[in-house]
Amino acid sequence: MRTALAIARKDLRQRVRDRSALVVGLLAPVAIAGLMSLAFHGVQSYTFTLGILDLDRGQVASAIVRAFDEPAVRSVVTVRSLADERSARDGIARGQIAAALVIPAGFSESVMGARPEALRTLSSDQSPVAAQVVSSVVASFAAQMDADRLSVVTALSAGAPAKDVSHLAALASGLRIPLRSVVAPVGAHELTIISYFSPGMAIFFLLFTISYASRSFFVDRSEGMIERMRAAPVRSAEILVGKALSVAAYGTASLAAIALVTSAAFGASWGAPGPAAVVGLALVLSVVALTALVIGLARSGRQADAIASVVVFGLALLGGNFFLVSNAPPAMRQLALLTPNGWALRAFTDLATIGGGFSTILEPVAAILGFTLVVGVVAVALAPRAVER
Amino acid sequence: MLSCHGLTKRFGGRVTVDDVGFSVGAGEIYGLLGPNGAGKTTTMKMVCGLLAPDAGSITIAGRPAIGDVAVRALVGYVPQDVALYPDLTARENLEFLGRLYRLDRRTLAERVAEALELTDLTDRKDDRTDSYSGGMKRRLNIAAGLVNHPKLLVLDEPTVGVDPQSRHAILERVRSFARDGLAVVYTTHYMEEADRVCDRVGIIDRGRLVAEGTRRELVAQLGAHDSIALGASGDLDRLAAVCLSVRGVSEAAAADHAVQLVTEDGRGVLPSVLEAADRAGFAVTTVDVTEPDLEAVFLHLTGTALRE
Repeated sequence: MRTALAIARKDLRQRVRDRSALVVGLLAPVAIAGLMSLAFHGVQSYTFTLGILDLDRGQVASAIVRAFDEPAVRSVVTVRSLADERSARDGIARGQIAAALVIPAGFSESVMGARPEALRTLSSDQSPVAAQVVSSVVASFAAQMDADRLSVVTALSAGAPAKDVSHLAALASGLRIPLRSVVAPVGAHELTIISYFSPGMAIFFLLFTISYASRSFFVDRSEGMIERMRAAPVRSAEILVGKALSVAAYGTASLAAIALVTSAAFGASWGAPGPAAVVGLALVLSVVALTALVIGLARSGRQADAIASVVVFGLALLGGNFFLVSNAPPAMRQLALLTPNGWALRAFTDLATIGGGFSTILEPVAAILGFTLVVGVVAVALAPRAVER
Repeated sequence: MLSCHGLTKRFGGRVTVDDVGFSVGAGEIYGLLGPNGAGKTTTMKMVCGLLAPDAGSITIAGRPAIGDVAVRALVGYVPQDVALYPDLTARENLEFLGRLYRLDRRTLAERVAEALELTDLTDRKDDRTDSYSGGMKRRLNIAAGLVNHPKLLVLDEPTVGVDPQSRHAILERVRSFARDGLAVVYTTHYMEEADRVCDRVGIIDRGRLVAEGTRRELVAQLGAHDSIALGASGDLDRLAAVCLSVRGVSEAAAADHAVQLVTEDGRGVLPSVLEAADRAGFAVTTVDVTEPDLEAVFLHLTGTALRE
């Protein structure tokens, strides 16, 4: 064990001395997590400003304007009154408003006739969702109007006096079902983008350790250092354990540093420290096993680079390090659970949202360790040959 | 200290080392001389436990070495190519290698300082080795083989690519290691190195050890003799007769303003020859001693010149 520690210590000294370690192990993941958080900012809570040009000023037109002041709609749409259609177009062009609803003159009157005037929604390619929201609100309003009208017509057909139409209409509109739809997260806390991409990027760059460590092994070998170690009273297994310890130490330090920095700088939540640390350690073990596997499979540094690239990017893509797995198709969500990083991301997001302690991470950690065991068994069979080759 | 018997190594169908056997005692420098690809490095790797022989045995300090990792603590290995971490300092390189031999902190510090001192690198010990010259790297490469205080030092072509001054320093150092009681195995394809530093030489060609012995023993196999050419003026026939009377001179003849002598030991008889010539009143102006070298031996034994 002493010699394995000596090898690990030497590897870490070299790694720390290489400035790229700081970049790959801390700066790049933090920077990219921050950038991705900015890029995806607002995806979860969509809001926009709607311009309304009311050229009608009638009863129905006013009711439509009021529909955009309902609490559920108000949380998404901010309404601004417009003077004319030109200001509507200018506002959209300048990005001051996302869309404009134009209520033509005589609209309220025409609603009662056979050919009502059309409402127009002006929008741009930049905000197609805004136009859809406006159409939905207007359609909802029209449906309610239709229901009210149907009620009145039904009452009149049943013999209600025609002079009571206004009273019947008011009565029908007052009988609306007080339906309210509220979006609420399953867990105690809502998942923020930074709380997803901070571990996402930390894990992605942790996976890069596979590439660095396997390449470093082959550099050692090509420079005769593995041979020199073997000429000493050192077993091949000790050399591999030493290398594995350095990968584990570097990976753990990198994950911990990124967690601290993203929590402090961006308010990312990694969950309770204890369970999060267990997830991190389990993941680091899987990275150690994958590194040993790459070393065992490759015959040269170039081959190690190629195999490591496939492993790193394959796992990152499947595991959901670049996108929100929850938004992916079901097949992708299932594939993510074949990867240790997919399970780790799930564990970190569960800790950040559902909270809880070790019970929350039991299944993910078991899955990660299972993966590590399978990869580790193959690696243990292959890697010593790489040392003695 | 080292005893090898019947060492054989095959790679695929090709026999790289074929039934090689030799032994090296404490304080002795044994040279393994042969061209590139002769099997020297493969033999050394088997001695150091880096390659398992297909047949044969190796004993180091009386202990069977094959498969015994602990025996490697007795061996210092200096590989042919410089094997050091360029991003570590000389001290860090040696400390790391010393830790592989499980040296305690104090012993490690002493050994590192000693190895640096022996190779004249103390002043540069805290410089990264990628800033070293080729000769300094070679010396540090040797220092790395000494940090464990080995009983057997295996030097695999330690002077390849080294300038004459550094080469001289390395060879002197190797001699001093042997004087200190180390058994040294020194592989080279430089004839003059083997001639200069080795007590005994094994000539290896195409994986087989074709001859072994001291330089004189090997030369004797040729049946060749040393020759001395004395330049002088006067009656050269009389000078030849004077020289022939000196013990150890077997032939003497005057030719082209010089006297040619044949002897078993040119350097040995030269003082007696010069004294006899002086007594006879001859002023010797030039002396040229020619000894059959290992190159001639190699050519004789293998039918080919030793190539670099």
